[in-house]
Amino acid sequence: MKIAGAKRWLLAGLAASALLHLFTGYTNRYYLGVSIDVAINIVLAVSLNLINGHTGQFSLGHCGFMAIGGYVSAMLTIAAHKAGIPQALTPLVFAASLLAGGVFAALAGIGVGIPSFRLRGDYLAIVTLGFGEIIRVFFQTFEPAGAASGLKGIPNYTNFLWAWGTAAITIYVVAALVNSTYGRGFLAVHDDEIAAGAMGVNTTRYKVTAFAIGSFFAGVAGGLYAHHKVFLSPTGFDFMRSIEIVVMVILGGMGRTAGVAVAAILLTLLPELLRGFSDYRMILYSLLIIILMLSRPQGLFNFVGGKRVKA
Amino acid sequence: MPAILELERVTIRFGGLTAVSEVDLALPDNALFGLIGPNGAGKTTAFNLITGVYQPTEGRITFQGSPTAGLKPHQLAAHGIARTFQNIRLFASLTVFDNVRVAMALHHPHGIAQALWRGSEFQRGERDVAQRIHELLEIFNLDEVRDVQACSLPYGDQRRLEIVRALATQPRLLLLDEPAAGMNPTEKSQLADLIRSIRTRFNLAVLLVEHDMQLVMNLCERIAVLDYGVKIAEGSPGEIRRNPKVIEAYLGEEHSPDNPPPSHRP
Ligand SMILES: Nc1ncnc2c1ncn2[C@@H]1O[C@H](COP(=O)(O)OP(=O)(O)O)[C@@H](O)[C@H]1O
Ligand SMILES: [Mg+2]
Repeated sequence: MKIAGAKRWLLAGLAASALLHLFTGYTNRYYLGVSIDVAINIVLAVSLNLINGHTGQFSLGHCGFMAIGGYVSAMLTIAAHKAGIPQALTPLVFAASLLAGGVFAALAGIGVGIPSFRLRGDYLAIVTLGFGEIIRVFFQTFEPAGAASGLKGIPNYTNFLWAWGTAAITIYVVAALVNSTYGRGFLAVHDDEIAAGAMGVNTTRYKVTAFAIGSFFAGVAGGLYAHHKVFLSPTGFDFMRSIEIVVMVILGGMGRTAGVAVAAILLTLLPELLRGFSDYRMILYSLLIIILMLSRPQGLFNFVGGKRVKA
Repeated sequence: MPAILELERVTIRFGGLTAVSEVDLALPDNALFGLIGPNGAGKTTAFNLITGVYQPTEGRITFQGSPTAGLKPHQLAAHGIARTFQNIRLFASLTVFDNVRVAMALHHPHGIAQALWRGSEFQRGERDVAQRIHELLEIFNLDEVRDVQACSLPYGDQRRLEIVRALATQPRLLLLDEPAAGMNPTEKSQLADLIRSIRTRFNLAVLLVEHDMQLVMNLCERIAVLDYGVKIAEGSPGEIRRNPKVIEAYLGEEHSPDNPPPSHRP
């Protein structure tokens, strides 16, 4: 992405989302639903890519942040709905609820991140995985959100424009951030933390920032998801969902925003095309991981020390 | 001349091993100072202490008059200490240009807000950074390879890029850890000229760890010698060459500091 053209790309993305949105009245509901799924997965994968790809941390808990955002946002709009907010204000209420979901998720991201950054890559993976499970179990027992039977009656606010507009913004934010002198610090942390520190990069600050921004967008994606499916079940946020997002990031090429967005599109559409085989989806993902591991002999979790100059 | 860097009885122990033991050192401002000693003597550990990678077990380090205790490497970089690494540590997947750009970020005022807004102030800032990187790379004849990935540079260029990257942090003190390792004689003599010109051009002090005795003796005004973590000698190159303790440390009769064995320790 060229520096000068970056904002124009964002505007183009938003305009395209708005324009296509006008035609959604004529499309098949199924296709519309799938296209929104695709956009939500783009938000998830591109934001996780900031953490796992660009910054080289290994989070396996992205779905936990998504769950936090989803529940926070849904509970807010349900409350607003009950309070009898006028129809005209619903876009504002929805936007505010998405932001609130994102902020809660970001705070959780900072809370998990700070104590974990002393850990080596694979341990961070285990901690974030555990965190995701804790979040899921929490919502399984959280009565105000329906506990194990799920949160019902979420208003159906997410449409094509909200979903794809958010996807465009997420891509813009991550790409614009990384494509700056400031943002090169994320990549430096990925390549060599010790060298980065010696060159004045506050490595902890960059990692916390990546976690905060990454989990913010995961939270927003959760809010979009909640108001798209109009029902949240804790079982929908198990760790296989996090793995799905990780596979999108790895398949898309770790730290390549465009590639990760394409991977998110493909890996959302593929299971839809193979609907009859949906039981085998996880086998497909596992195979993908095995193939990737064989082509990445330094190990799947070894992102920090991935490419190192032999000296 | 006032000392830019001072070590007072600096000691670090790793479990039972005392890697650096009660070392005193005063580095004059603008000096070309050598730090030598056999493999495992504690030279790299001394660098890690000075740059905040390790905190000393005992003793204190002062940089430009203020104690550095508790400061992290990135804070010491901001204070003006830069270094290279014995085992090259470039940002392997980044281009030559971006390797230097990371270091430029230290004194670049723009952060998240500017990167996202991308206004005219941001554009000007980025153009300014690019211009300064271009100037630095030209001095070191690396501008032609600015878009090459650091890990695919030839070895000697990687070593020089590490120096450029360190200079981009605008240091007052530059620590070079075996910069001539793996270089041929021609490259070594070019490196010596380069280090001399850096000192003048960038107005900084250089602390040099190097195994090539000829290079150290020719280049440095003053040399300290470590052996088993202890400073056993300090003086001018001539004094060091004649010092019996130094000759002993480098296995005495057969090997003078001019002709050291590759290592006298396993
Ligand atoms: N982090 C560490 N933990 C334990 N021992 C260390 C550590 N760093 C260095 N050492 C030991 O300290 C001694 C000095 O090492 P070093 O400073 O690398 O020597 P050199 O003079 O060759 O650069 C060695 O015996 C080394 O094994
Ligand atoms: Mg060493």
